[in-house]
Amino acid sequence: MLNVKCSPFRILAILALCIFCLASARAAGDVSQSFDAANRLYEQGKFADAASAYENLIQSGSVSPALYFNLGNARFKASQVGRAIAAYRQAEKFSPRDPDIRANLQFTRNQVQGPTLPPGRWERWLANLTLNEWTALTATAIWSCLLALALQQIRPALKSSLKNVAVGSGVTAVVLGIFLAADWSITAQPTAIVTAHDAALRSGPLEEAQSVIPLHDGAELPVLDTKDNWLQLGIGQRVGWLKREQVRQLP
Amino acid sequence: MSLLSLTVSAATFTAALDRSTVAIGESAVLSLTFEGGQPKSSPSLPNIPNLQITGQGTSQSYSFDNGVSSSTVTHTYALTPLQPGDYTIPTLGAIVDGKTLTTRPLHLKATAPLPPPTDLGEAAAQPAFMRLVLPKKEGCVGEPLVATLELYFQNGVQNYANFQITSLPTDGFNMGAKVQGQNRRAQVGNAICTVVPFSIVLTPVKTGPLSLGPVTASVVVVQPARNWQEQMFGGAQTQVAMAARAETIQIISPPRENAPANFNGAVGSYTLTVTAGPTNVAVGDPITVRVQISGSGALDSLALPEQPAWHDFKMYPPTSKVETADPLGIQGVKTFEQLIVPQSTDIRELPPISFSYFDTDKKTYRTLTQPAIRLTVRPGGANVVPTIAASNRAQENPPPAQDIVSIKQRTGKLEPLSKPLLEQPWFLTLQSVPALAFLGSVVWRKRTDSMANNPRLRRQRKVAQVLRHGLNDLRKFAAEKNSDAFFATLFRLLQEQIGECLDVPASAITEAVIEEHLKPRGVPVPMLTELHELFQLNNLARYTPIKSSQELAAMIPKVEAVLGELQKIRV
Repeated sequence: MLNVKCSPFRILAILALCIFCLASARAAGDVSQSFDAANRLYEQGKFADAASAYENLIQSGSVSPALYFNLGNARFKASQVGRAIAAYRQAEKFSPRDPDIRANLQFTRNQVQGPTLPPGRWERWLANLTLNEWTALTATAIWSCLLALALQQIRPALKSSLKNVAVGSGVTAVVLGIFLAADWSITAQPTAIVTAHDAALRSGPLEEAQSVIPLHDGAELPVLDTKDNWLQLGIGQRVGWLKREQVRQLP
Repeated sequence: MSLLSLTVSAATFTAALDRSTVAIGESAVLSLTFEGGQPKSSPSLPNIPNLQITGQGTSQSYSFDNGVSSSTVTHTYALTPLQPGDYTIPTLGAIVDGKTLTTRPLHLKATAPLPPPTDLGEAAAQPAFMRLVLPKKEGCVGEPLVATLELYFQNGVQNYANFQITSLPTDGFNMGAKVQGQNRRAQVGNAICTVVPFSIVLTPVKTGPLSLGPVTASVVVVQPARNWQEQMFGGAQTQVAMAARAETIQIISPPRENAPANFNGAVGSYTLTVTAGPTNVAVGDPITVRVQISGSGALDSLALPEQPAWHDFKMYPPTSKVETADPLGIQGVKTFEQLIVPQSTDIRELPPISFSYFDTDKKTYRTLTQPAIRLTVRPGGANVVPTIAASNRAQENPPPAQDIVSIKQRTGKLEPLSKPLLEQPWFLTLQSVPALAFLGSVVWRKRTDSMANNPRLRRQRKVAQVLRHGLNDLRKFAAEKNSDAFFATLFRLLQEQIGECLDVPASAITEAVIEEHLKPRGVPVPMLTELHELFQLNNLARYTPIKSSQELAAMIPKVEAVLGELQKIRV
């Protein structure tokens, strides 16, 4: 006969785990229902309402690529190209290799008129993996290298066979580390996506300042500086200021 | 099977001018470029009155990029206008791979040569000076103006370098491309100067009298060497600061009267081409309308005008691209692609498309209209292959996506919004594990190697271990009143410790060692006395083995003290 001793502490821990699992399942069920409701609004052509519903879900704290993707679709259908691009970019951060996200982001970017600076080829290549994936790969290579070196110290007999592992993983770690640093710096670089239909970069952070370049909904520009309620943006050699309320800033 | 597949793109034929405006006496370069194929014969240029055309040769290049090979053949011609005026290089045709390819017409403006500067004052005495020239005294908001900054170098100047504009106030203008033109010679007073012109595109953004300049710049000029030191550096180098006076231009806005309803601010001189396809579609199927506006003006800011007659179509925001035909970027073609979706089968045609602009030369509005395009719109669901009525180029390129991919029906895996791993303290802490493991292994290896190479140290540690266990045994034997085992262990511990001190085998240690080895080597006398006592107690116990637990236990501190003292002695 199986004799299992159940201490009170163990029983409490199991109960707490069960309660946590039930609460998580219920929360997931709630999100799923709200998501379906938002999808119905979208199918009915109520794109602005659908977008608000998706936004509410995102603000509840749990997110998924599909949530951002649908938000992007709703924004696009509501003729909010800039907000759509912002949502697709968020979706791409979670699921960079999703062909649907890529297709819609590209399609939406093609609608943008006037000057814009979408990511270049190198940035798009780096974006094939999420920052966490680059981090995990780099960490794995570093662990392999250091553990192989440690094993060489503990078992000198394995030194020659572990040498290739240590060197290979070391080189891989350096290369991956460079990619990780590049991806991190790109991710950390704030980008402004114009959400106003007609905006203009101004020569200074003032309403009265002269207009430098006209910008349209969806233009993506790097943020160079901020002052009060203004962002300094640059495109090529030209630099100007735009009101914060006219853009969506990422990250 | 070849592992490497070569892709050859379709042939194209383009014409481009290196500038859109030249002064009489200067030449513009016309490049006719064939990409992806070669014509059967060299293209022939028509005779254009008062325009001298001189062939300058043909160049050929071959490139291979990302699996795509391309060959480029470029025929270049110098175009020299003989009279001021506007010249049009008409559409040129050539047969490449059995297909007839054509270019777009190009416009070249020839102006009277600029009069040489006369009122330069002291500046004319410098080895280099400059002046700013505006093409006209009146312009229009949104009209690209090509200002010329002319650098004059006196006859003695052999070369120049490091030309830098230090100040160019352009309030009220958007500054565009800056292109260096052909050098020429000009007489200024009694001297002949070399003139280097720089063309700068400026687009006014507000009305009223706008001032451009004053311009300040610096340049390093090289003049003939006056001594051997200067000769070593190739001549006398002097930095010259230059200034050009400000010029004023009156900027007006297009008049409000007679402005067409669909005028959206376009200024310049343009032509309009419209294609649409497919023209046989079902309700809900997209049609791509391609609108090309070519000519000269601010192409970047051109926008597709509203087409109110397209109310029967669902419309998506248009995409656009600009292809310039001159380095200044004010001549070329802007192509809009607009997706429209017919909403009913009653639609018979795509209504006429019109585009209005303000012609700055004629000071009047012009409206370009393309006729309606016939459409066949079937009920939705019919499965008929649509016919494409667009240009050949549309078939060469893959069809663009016509709408976004629809929404996803499942949320997928939900994750809490969190910082990336790189910013998570637990993850960063975890990364120290392999580093610590490596450092630990290095320390362990060094210690192991050190032990392996030092037998004395190894024995010292082993004896320390034996003593620890032995003292425990002594306590146990004392408690058990096992006198024989107690003293046997005591004797062994003394042997081990003294043997380790003297670096001799433990079995060789007897009481005689105290006098023979320890005493001559300066071991303190009280220690020697204590050792004698312990050895004698040990000998005595062989004859009178029985001792009480208390007596045996009372000896242990003394033994510990002696062994502790012996550990400190190195002989």
